[in-house]
Amino acid sequence: MSDMMKETGCREQEGLPDREQNRYLSAFMDIGELLLIHGAEVNRVEDTISRLCGAYGFVRSDVFTITSSIVASAMTPDGTTITQTRRIKDRDTDLGKVELVNGLSRRICKDPVSVEAIQEEIRAIRDRRSISEGVKLGMYMLISSSLSVFFGGSWPDGLAAALSGMVLYGMLRQSAAMRLNGIIQTMMCSAVTALAVSLLVKIGIGTHPDKIMIGNIMLVIPGIQLTNSLRDMINGDMISGLLNMSEALLKAVSVAMGFAVTLLAGGGR
Amino acid sequence: MSFYAVQTVMGVLGSIGFSILFGVTDRKLLWIALGSGAGWAVYLICVARGYGIFAGLFAASLFVAMLSEVLARILKTPVILMLVPMLIPEMPGGDLYYTMYYLVQRQYVEFGNSSNQVLAEAGAIALGIILASYGAKFIRSIRLHVPEARKKAQ
Repeated sequence: MSDMMKETGCREQEGLPDREQNRYLSAFMDIGELLLIHGAEVNRVEDTISRLCGAYGFVRSDVFTITSSIVASAMTPDGTTITQTRRIKDRDTDLGKVELVNGLSRRICKDPVSVEAIQEEIRAIRDRRSISEGVKLGMYMLISSSLSVFFGGSWPDGLAAALSGMVLYGMLRQSAAMRLNGIIQTMMCSAVTALAVSLLVKIGIGTHPDKIMIGNIMLVIPGIQLTNSLRDMINGDMISGLLNMSEALLKAVSVAMGFAVTLLAGGGR
Repeated sequence: MSFYAVQTVMGVLGSIGFSILFGVTDRKLLWIALGSGAGWAVYLICVARGYGIFAGLFAASLFVAMLSEVLARILKTPVILMLVPMLIPEMPGGDLYYTMYYLVQRQYVEFGNSSNQVLAEAGAIALGIILASYGAKFIRSIRLHVPEARKKAQ
């Protein structure tokens, strides 16, 4: 144990005030926060933070993570305990960043570096540009059309789904810029997309409105989240599982309500 | 038959789309595309042999999850990065939509049936993922604790 500690940050700073240790824990929390925001599993976040605490000479660490918060307590060799909490509000899946953060934490676990170096790397990952708007729009069109054919639509349905996927992307961007409440945002986007789909069918592009819509829906409906929630629960992370599941179901209801508004008005299915 | 081929290709395209949307843009895309196509093929084969949707989804997600555990070790990346995009074709998005549609339309009998179906589907997929990840953990702990295997691993 003492051998391991010699090489790590804590030992060198034993004479320093608690501030230094606080800064280390804060950097680890940043790492955990990045992982959680960009879509890593809850137990990976807990695992990463406790490994980091172990590698930097904390003698004990207790990390509790749910999808909306991280709480970590770490005990230093001289017996003081520090605790930090992070509240996670918005999440945005970016698995490329998860990979980068994961690589970073592996690297700095193996050979510990100074807290400034960690913060520098975290900043670099945080500022990394994600894919451009044009590519995103293209992907929305690709996903909509391919999945609408996947679920049994015809080729014209796929074309219509690509066009309405474009509408969906525009709506999502606009409503995100307006900072609306998430549920209302989802409802509005689904309603406008359904409207676009019925218009497209009316002018003769595509024949099965439900298949076209399912292609679009895959982009907003939380199928991945629902599956993840069940996985969390089987794994024993009950609170995360329940949170994720209720969020997913609420979101699914709001998607369906948005679509239903237009469908009831138009009378189609 | 040709519909199933088209369906598989479309599922692969959807997977690629989601992986780019999720920030995966390098050569892992090729593996994700192959894995998601193979996973959907497993599902189709199971269903064609009469094992039913749930067994099919379970087998497909078990296959995809095992594949992504292996690929993640070869490519040195987190498992979730391979797993989430590869499982896109199996995701119960369509059924989840129909469930909520019935609820909003107040067709409660259909709502009950399809909500059971969605939960069972998601559960089958989740069980496949969990089994694969515990299988991987089990193999790792055997390697760590059995001396001969440890020698071989080094």
